[in-house]
Amino acid sequence: MSEYAIEVEDLRKVYPGGVEALRGVSFRVRKGEIFSLLGPNGAGKTTTVRILSTLYKPTGGVARVLGYDVVRESGKVRRVIGVVSQESTSDDEMTGFDNVYIQARLYGLSGEEARRAAWEALRFMGLENAANRKVSTYSGGMKRRLEIAMSLVHTPQVLFLDEPTLGLDVESRRELWKLILDLKRRGVTILLTTHYMEEADRLSDRVAIINEGRIIAVGTPEELKKKVGGEAIHIAPMDPQDADKIIERLKSHGYDVRKAGRIVVVKVDDASRRITEIIKLVEDVEVLEVGVVKPNLEEVFLLLTGRRLIEEEPSTTARIPTRR
Amino acid sequence: MIGATLTLLYREIKKWVNRKPVFVVSLITPIIWIALFGKSLNLQSLFQPPPGVAQNPAFASVYKSMVEKRMLELFGTTDYFTYMSSGMLVAFSLFQGLFSGVSIIFDKRLGYLDRLLVTPIPRISIWASKILAVIVRVTVLSTILLVVAIAMGMQLKEGIGLVDLLGAWLVIVLVAAGISSLYAMISFYASHQEVVFTLGNLLNLPLMFASSALFPVEQMPSWMQKIAKANPVTYAADLVRHYLIGRAVNDYWKSIGLLVALVAVLLVLSAWLSVRWMESR
Repeated sequence: MSEYAIEVEDLRKVYPGGVEALRGVSFRVRKGEIFSLLGPNGAGKTTTVRILSTLYKPTGGVARVLGYDVVRESGKVRRVIGVVSQESTSDDEMTGFDNVYIQARLYGLSGEEARRAAWEALRFMGLENAANRKVSTYSGGMKRRLEIAMSLVHTPQVLFLDEPTLGLDVESRRELWKLILDLKRRGVTILLTTHYMEEADRLSDRVAIINEGRIIAVGTPEELKKKVGGEAIHIAPMDPQDADKIIERLKSHGYDVRKAGRIVVVKVDDASRRITEIIKLVEDVEVLEVGVVKPNLEEVFLLLTGRRLIEEEPSTTARIPTRR
Repeated sequence: MIGATLTLLYREIKKWVNRKPVFVVSLITPIIWIALFGKSLNLQSLFQPPPGVAQNPAFASVYKSMVEKRMLELFGTTDYFTYMSSGMLVAFSLFQGLFSGVSIIFDKRLGYLDRLLVTPIPRISIWASKILAVIVRVTVLSTILLVVAIAMGMQLKEGIGLVDLLGAWLVIVLVAAGISSLYAMISFYASHQEVVFTLGNLLNLPLMFASSALFPVEQMPSWMQKIAKANPVTYAADLVRHYLIGRAVNDYWKSIGLLVALVAVLLVLSAWLSVRWMESR
């Protein structure tokens, strides 16, 4: 058996109507790792997950899960995967327990086994106290956790999480991240899609950046961030006039310095160690703020595509007229 | 396959019963149908003897026997309510058939169908559970309908036995299976729930009115008789009436044969097309 849980080669998908969702996607996910597909809406993340989970047939290319071809051996693939889709799929007039129990029965567990597996999955997702309540009384975070419990009840070896924290508040999101990392510790291979760069960064062993149906970069979050260069120290002088003075001073000490608006950007390899030295050098200048800026995946995406990951946010200038 | 089908049927029934207000309303619906339809369309009261006739006991009795003879000719019973309520069982089954489509559309829209499709269950069990759910609903609701109808004055045929009740039930189940198959296959391919509702309204009303479910075919205009005589609902209603109120049915075996054949074709076609849709995305 290969060391890869998921192998995707030159995957293509053209939807009826001509929309080209995937234009040749290739990547490999190692067993036991969390692998993220990071990209904006419409990049092809969900299509990839839908093909890997046997819902859609690819137009071209090959995809294998644990060595099974997703088209020719879809039955075998379905036995070893769990899928959590973006939308809530539970029946909300039923209890959380019933939802998970029915899933367990569908995977062929007997009544007793299904009951036990359902309780275990609910306990793992921290829902045992709400198990006998109707899902309609659940919060958004609880519903998401129930979705995962439903997808875990048959102990899949590979779990697909399609935008698992979409629309959740910060607290529920963090809670869910913790649970996803717990799952990894149990040895589950996880393919996660997200357009939140922080999510990909925090959870993933490796990230594939996907845009317009193509993968444009793959690597660990650290490797990817190196693409935008190292860390930087941002210095904002009280008086903007002092910016040039700071730049002169730091340049003379051999730093890579540039100006961005009223902020002085110092490129450094190891910002947290350099920061004291730099502050000392500009001691005589009144400084409003000094900060260490670590490169993040958002910047990587921006560098590679010239676009932002989340584009629905209107800019301030565009918002003002509509308010009036 | 049976395990998965039963699990999904369990879900359908649990959903139906769990939605308490909806469940209660669905139980009351047949009562309302019977009470309003049956008692407002009270044909006997239309044939009250005119005042002059009513005063003369001899005339009144002749008049009454004439009306009853005509009623018997047309309806096979002197009581229209008895005629109508047995046909209503079939019409009601027709409308319950829509629920297969509605439930498929909702499972599609809410993503539950996708959840089912990533499990290793046979695709046909998803389809089968929808048809069986309608059959269970129809069985429960028709029983209530029948009990209420009897309480309101429906007269079953003399010496009715278990075999007759079973026969009537089987016919009603055939109608439910046929019509729910039809709506199931439409719903897998339809992209909006409006398609199902629109088609449901378009099909169900003519199926009900151009049949012997509510009125005898013989009193219809000749063009409508042609439709009614080809309408499977007519066969079903005539058979149910045969079992429950003992009205004679022409071509007993032909009716059964045609009904079974049509439902079999619908079931096979629906199962095939539904599975095909699920496997070809």
